[in-house]
Amino acid sequence: MSLSDTATPAASAAQPPRTPSPSAVTKDLVAKAGATRRRNAAKWKLRIGAVCTLIVIIPILLAQVLPLPDANHQDLSARRLAPLVDGHLFGTDQLGRDLLSRVLHGGQVSLTIGILAVVVSGAIGIILGAAAGYFGGWVDTVVSRVLEAQMSLPLLMMLLLVVALFGPSIPVITFVIAIAQWPEVARLTRSMVLVEREKPYVSAARILGLHRIQILIQHIIPNVIKQATLVVLLLLAQAVLLESALSFLGAGPQRPFATWGRIISDGQDYITTSWWMVTLPGLVIVLMVVGVNLLGDGLRDRPRRKKKGA
Amino acid sequence: MTKYILKRLGQGLLTVFLTVSTVFILIRLAPGDPAVSYAGPLATTEQLAKVREQFGLDRPVLEQYWIFLQQLFTGNLGTSYSFQAPAMQVVAERMPYTLTLATASILLTAVVAIPLGVWMARRPDTNRELGVNVLTIAGQSMPDFWTGIMLLTGFAVLIPLFPASGFATWGGLVLPTVTIATLQIALISRMVRREMTSNFAAPYLTVARSRGVGSPALTWRYAMGNSAIPVFTALGTRFAAMLNGVVVVEVVFAWPGVGSLIVRALETRDYPLIQATVLLTALLAVAVQLVIDLAYPLLDPRVRLGKAAAA
Repeated sequence: MSLSDTATPAASAAQPPRTPSPSAVTKDLVAKAGATRRRNAAKWKLRIGAVCTLIVIIPILLAQVLPLPDANHQDLSARRLAPLVDGHLFGTDQLGRDLLSRVLHGGQVSLTIGILAVVVSGAIGIILGAAAGYFGGWVDTVVSRVLEAQMSLPLLMMLLLVVALFGPSIPVITFVIAIAQWPEVARLTRSMVLVEREKPYVSAARILGLHRIQILIQHIIPNVIKQATLVVLLLLAQAVLLESALSFLGAGPQRPFATWGRIISDGQDYITTSWWMVTLPGLVIVLMVVGVNLLGDGLRDRPRRKKKGA
Repeated sequence: MTKYILKRLGQGLLTVFLTVSTVFILIRLAPGDPAVSYAGPLATTEQLAKVREQFGLDRPVLEQYWIFLQQLFTGNLGTSYSFQAPAMQVVAERMPYTLTLATASILLTAVVAIPLGVWMARRPDTNRELGVNVLTIAGQSMPDFWTGIMLLTGFAVLIPLFPASGFATWGGLVLPTVTIATLQIALISRMVRREMTSNFAAPYLTVARSRGVGSPALTWRYAMGNSAIPVFTALGTRFAAMLNGVVVVEVVFAWPGVGSLIVRALETRDYPLIQATVLLTALLAVAVQLVIDLAYPLLDPRVRLGKAAAA
């Protein structure tokens, strides 16, 4: 690492006398400028993404501690108050419940479902994808066929069906979202494992007499897990959106849980008179999902130090 | 060629068959009795039993499945409980609306997303590109039902430019189309950018440039020509997915399509209607997939379908 760092300036210093270029801007410089801009863009994406995400997540985590009215406390004398009236930062809904409090408590439910779903789909996807890529043969055939079959199914319709089947409880919705998302992780892991398994360290491990499963778990998976988890971060954004769509359609966690999708679907009836009941919860969702997406994008674009040194 | 088409048709029909069978099993495992939602909450036990007998729901599940298979081959999936009309006919009446919406959305997406993606790929790592890039991230981060309600409030309520719901005039098509296209443009333009960037970096483009090929030809004939298959596939797959009902958007705009129909059918446990919807949409989606595959040789003369399937 340190060797290559010192080597780079020396090489570029030695370059000008050797190749007197007619233009001051060489192709190398253009490429370097591009890389620098990309690095800066990734840095800003990471920063802005982190800020957006934290603006939403920190209040959600602190929802119980913050001095807010109870999310389900109805006050019929204070129905549909506009934002900033009577200390209601986001206003109140059609039953006089504090909208900010509902959004934050709803966020706890949505985030819990999102994170759990992503953990489950990540685990299923990595395990099955790695197995398919490493063992090949019938394991690969089965996993790949299931992946293909799921691609051709009408997804949202199936999710609605399953929720209708097992009831809209939090575990069911988590499971349903996880099932919807695992193919993406599995396909990526499979393609990376296919590359890894041909590398010399795998043959070396095999010669040393390691069991195949041991090679897969101890040597191959650690080499692909980092990239796989990056995808998982992007899936978190999708999971939150999917959950809100399900609860918008009435297939989300049932009352008394407030969820983002249902807060918006409840507010839809009052959109002409009370704009905030739909607009503000929606903006909260957008802010958080944009944040998570920016984080994922920034992490992916960030140049890997190792590769630069090599 | 014929062999290839037949093989693909066989695979497609098998997928459709497995899909409708899965749905058949799922809805019969589901709690909730269609007889209750049909006869009303005040019905007596005898009335419920009579309704079940009328619908054939009192028979063993295997026998119901056998009847269902027979119906499948005659193309008559029974009478919808809630519409009291042949289920296939109810769905077929809704299909043109979903088709219109899906076609309009995919056209708008293609017209905006392809130039946008090319624009981004041609000036990588500039501030303007970064700006558009962040915009596409925002586009794919907005829940579509929220985008829909916002557009509806803005352009149907506050500024009454377009009708708020339904499909009475062509103006009613605008808001749902824009809602769907917002997300799709974000996804497709990023994909176009990725494809074009990798093609711009390819050696064949340097060769073409050194031979003096102009910039528009380089972009559209050379790079786009080689990006055509993945871009076309992405657009086609999105289109096929939309045929399964753009459920959320149809619900928001009270669009009389298949998506809002399936939500209603699931709520009332209208078994024949659910099955007819799934069957028709799955058939259409498989047909679209087949058309996409058959179009490959037109897009890229190197593609030979029979061989591609063998490889």
